Amino acid sequence: MLSLQRILRRVQRLFAGGQRNEELDEEMQSHIEMETAKHVRAGMSEAEAHVRALRDFGGVARFRDETRDAHGVRAIEDFIHDVRIGVRGLLRQRTFATVAILTLAIGIGGTTAVFGAVYASLLAPLPYRDADRVMTLWQTDTKDGTARNEVSVPNFLDWRERSRSFSHMAIAEPFSLDYIGPDGPEVFNTALVTEGFFEALGVRPILGRTFLSEEFVAGKNQVVIISESLWRTRFGADSSLLNRPIVLDGAPMVLVGVMPRSVDVPWGSPTWAPKIIRPDELQARTSAYYSVVARLRDGVSIEAAQRDLSSVASDLAREYAPTNATTGASVVPVADALLGAARSRMYTLFGAMGFVLLIACVNVASLQLAQAVRRRRELATRATLGAGSGRLARQLFTECFVLAAVGGVLGLALAYGGLAGIRAIAPVDLPRVEDLQLQPVVIAFAFGITVLTALVFGLAPVLEARRMHLSEVISSGGRTVAGTRTRRRVQNALVITEIALALVLMVGAGLLVRSLRSLVTIDRGFEPSNVLVTTVQAWSFYRTPGERIAFAREAIERLRALPGVEAAGMSSSLPLSDPIGAEFAPLSIEGQPTGDGRPPVAHIEAVTPGYFDALRIPLRAGRTLATSDRDSSTAVALVNEAFVRRYWPNEKPLGKRIGMGFQRVSGVREVVGVVADVRHEGLDRAAEPSVFIPHSQGPTGAMNLVLRTNGDPRALEKPVRVTLASMNGSMPVSAMTTLDELFDTSLRDRRFQLALLGAFSVVALLLSAIGIYGVLSQTTSERTQEIGVRVAIGATAGQVLMMVVRQGAMLAAVGIAIGLAGAAALTRFLKSMLFEVTPFDPLTFVASLTLLFAAAIIACWIPARRAAAVDPVTALRD
Amino acid sequence: MPPQPNDRLQGTLDLLILKLLRREPMHGWGIAQQIQQSSRDVLQINQGSLYPALHRLEERGWIAAEWGSSENNRRARYYKLTALGRRQLEQETASWEEFVLAVTRVLRTA
Repeated sequence: MLSLQRILRRVQRLFAGGQRNEELDEEMQSHIEMETAKHVRAGMSEAEAHVRALRDFGGVARFRDETRDAHGVRAIEDFIHDVRIGVRGLLRQRTFATVAILTLAIGIGGTTAVFGAVYASLLAPLPYRDADRVMTLWQTDTKDGTARNEVSVPNFLDWRERSRSFSHMAIAEPFSLDYIGPDGPEVFNTALVTEGFFEALGVRPILGRTFLSEEFVAGKNQVVIISESLWRTRFGADSSLLNRPIVLDGAPMVLVGVMPRSVDVPWGSPTWAPKIIRPDELQARTSAYYSVVARLRDGVSIEAAQRDLSSVASDLAREYAPTNATTGASVVPVADALLGAARSRMYTLFGAMGFVLLIACVNVASLQLAQAVRRRRELATRATLGAGSGRLARQLFTECFVLAAVGGVLGLALAYGGLAGIRAIAPVDLPRVEDLQLQPVVIAFAFGITVLTALVFGLAPVLEARRMHLSEVISSGGRTVAGTRTRRRVQNALVITEIALALVLMVGAGLLVRSLRSLVTIDRGFEPSNVLVTTVQAWSFYRTPGERIAFAREAIERLRALPGVEAAGMSSSLPLSDPIGAEFAPLSIEGQPTGDGRPPVAHIEAVTPGYFDALRIPLRAGRTLATSDRDSSTAVALVNEAFVRRYWPNEKPLGKRIGMGFQRVSGVREVVGVVADVRHEGLDRAAEPSVFIPHSQGPTGAMNLVLRTNGDPRALEKPVRVTLASMNGSMPVSAMTTLDELFDTSLRDRRFQLALLGAFSVVALLLSAIGIYGVLSQTTSERTQEIGVRVAIGATAGQVLMMVVRQGAMLAAVGIAIGLAGAAALTRFLKSMLFEVTPFDPLTFVASLTLLFAAAIIACWIPARRAAAVDPVTALRD
Repeated sequence: MPPQPNDRLQGTLDLLILKLLRREPMHGWGIAQQIQQSSRDVLQINQGSLYPALHRLEERGWIAAEWGSSENNRRARYYKLTALGRRQLEQETASWEEFVLAVTRVLRTA
């Protein structure tokens, strides 16, 4: 029983630990001196007497341990002591420690960096109040099976009025506002939002207020809210600007609020303005272009809200059968909607990184095991000197801990660099990329991993040490065979595991490489090199069609005349970039039934004739557009091959008629030519059916300008700006880019994925080679005598070499076999990231296993050479 | 390596220590010598058991220790019996005698 007094005494001793220890030492010292004195009195020499006294006293270390155990303060002291011994031991084994620490640092650092990215984009809470109550609402279509279509205004209004599950529901419409700042004209991406938008998200401005009800009325809507980042970068974080007008789109708009930085990411818009619903939108049930956000009413579950909205949608389907017959509604939590695509990518990376960490741990474990064998003698000696077996186990364990701690710190440094790297190559659509930094959570994670790693790989040598039979170890001079077979089996299993893991990673990376290759080499339908592109916001300066046509013609003429320009054109949309305005329009097509109320749809582009020359899109049939196609001449159109395949598969397209009922381009047009397909939506998306109409017969206000140059397109940036400014000094021209850059950007997330997975698999390859090397070096050094015997009775160096290599090759082969099965099971998770490669691509599998096997054999070679060089005489004499 | 002491043996060493300390405070070495002499060299005290035993007894509050100087003016740690230890000694002695008596009876009658 522990009395209070005893507890107090124990606590006191813990604090007086150092003193207690000294007292013990002194007490022992005094005992030995007395004993020595006794022996001297009995006639021994001083030295002899001292030795005798010491021997009689027994194991000093053990005595101290047992005595201190009686005081219950031992564990802490031991830990500090073990750490000291651990560090000293590691300093003695520099190569081992370096390899182990580097291995760990790479594992821990990589995982932490990737975890940082995953955390920022997936796990960190969204910056909304009760973010799990914020939903996005979508239209579904049972006809084509699409689940997340944007919403039309009438449907939204009916949903809002009839559903009971939401406290707020609002739409956001992408828009843009021109701003003329000190650095020239600019375009601000804007979201036009209806009442309740900010309340639905649950965000508050850091300055000012959100919109008032009366500001959602035409004429009162000249107000704007901007994001913190815009406020800081463009307006000098000047709070006196609040409630003052900013000139946007040539009209004053009063700045009423500033939203915190965290909010502007999801909707990609640095400015918000009130959305006024136009009369024509009230009728357009098929014009589904709007994002809808909503907040669940308190106590309503997502499922209940989904049932509610679905029943509203089915009522609408009955009431508005011609347009809504197949239209449903779906409720998607905002986190899923925002992070959906990125999520699977990040999980893949995270999984891959977990593999690497596992390989790293396995590697260190196997290194440690080899180390424990080499240190048998030392451990056995320590045991005879009186250290208990639990004590030894603890010491080994502490050594692992020291390794993991140093590795962890290095890893953290690596993670810093790694995150910077990830930020640099991260795709633009990676959510919340600006939050990518080492966060406390991440550091905690790194530390957790470190300790876990220490546990995992501390286990093997500890088990080994527990099984040691001291007398055997000592008597066989540390060369004992006890437990060797079990240990070898464990080590072999470890090596096989890491080879298998490495193979899975390599196959994954290989498949991504093949996908990227197919994407880069695919026929994209246009020639992207040496093309400068920019967007001209002409609409508020040239309001009538006639003015716009005249502007486009003059601009192109002037630009075409610039030295270095080979071709110049304009279009309402560009490959691989966001379109200007709505681009998909319903058509009536000659020979196509339109009976079910859902007309055929195609991508509509207004272009000037030079567009096809600038992009080098080949003409397949008929003629291209010409400057003679004017407003007054016959309405004409070009279609692409995808259009012909879809709608006129067995007919001659030339001369057919297409009817359009779409704003500025209504009327019937005659098809005069067919152009090649262009991968417009993205390199991994097949071309959509498209219709090209002459800009002169349906001019848009904003146009993409495309210029083919005969040198570096960037060199023309300035002349182009000067030329456009000479036509209109206040017209905004957005930042210039090149098609090559757009092309690169579109591949950025794939490259990102590939760079990381590729780096992981190279690391995995190296680590598993080190693993094989470590195990073979150790077993061959253990078998030196046996090899000596073999050589003595006539084995050649070649035979010995093969013997060792065969051992390594067996391990590699088993690991590869398991890895192939694992890869076959896991690569299907990559499927959405693959392009024109099956998850079971034989080439990738064969290439990966060949590479891995080759690396394994090379790793075998060094220990094999050493074994082959064994001198039988020395080996046997040892 | 010494055999693991069983409870009875460990208890015996405790009893001997308490008994010796009843007369006067002693240091560890003295206790070892005294036991050896009194038992006419039959009982050899392993120091590795003696000191843990001393510290265990101290821990239990049966003996107390303080630094003093030995016969030859060496600093030594002297142990003395506490009141608690005195009571423990009486109990232990009684139970020891009972034990010896029991064993003796068995030896005589068997």
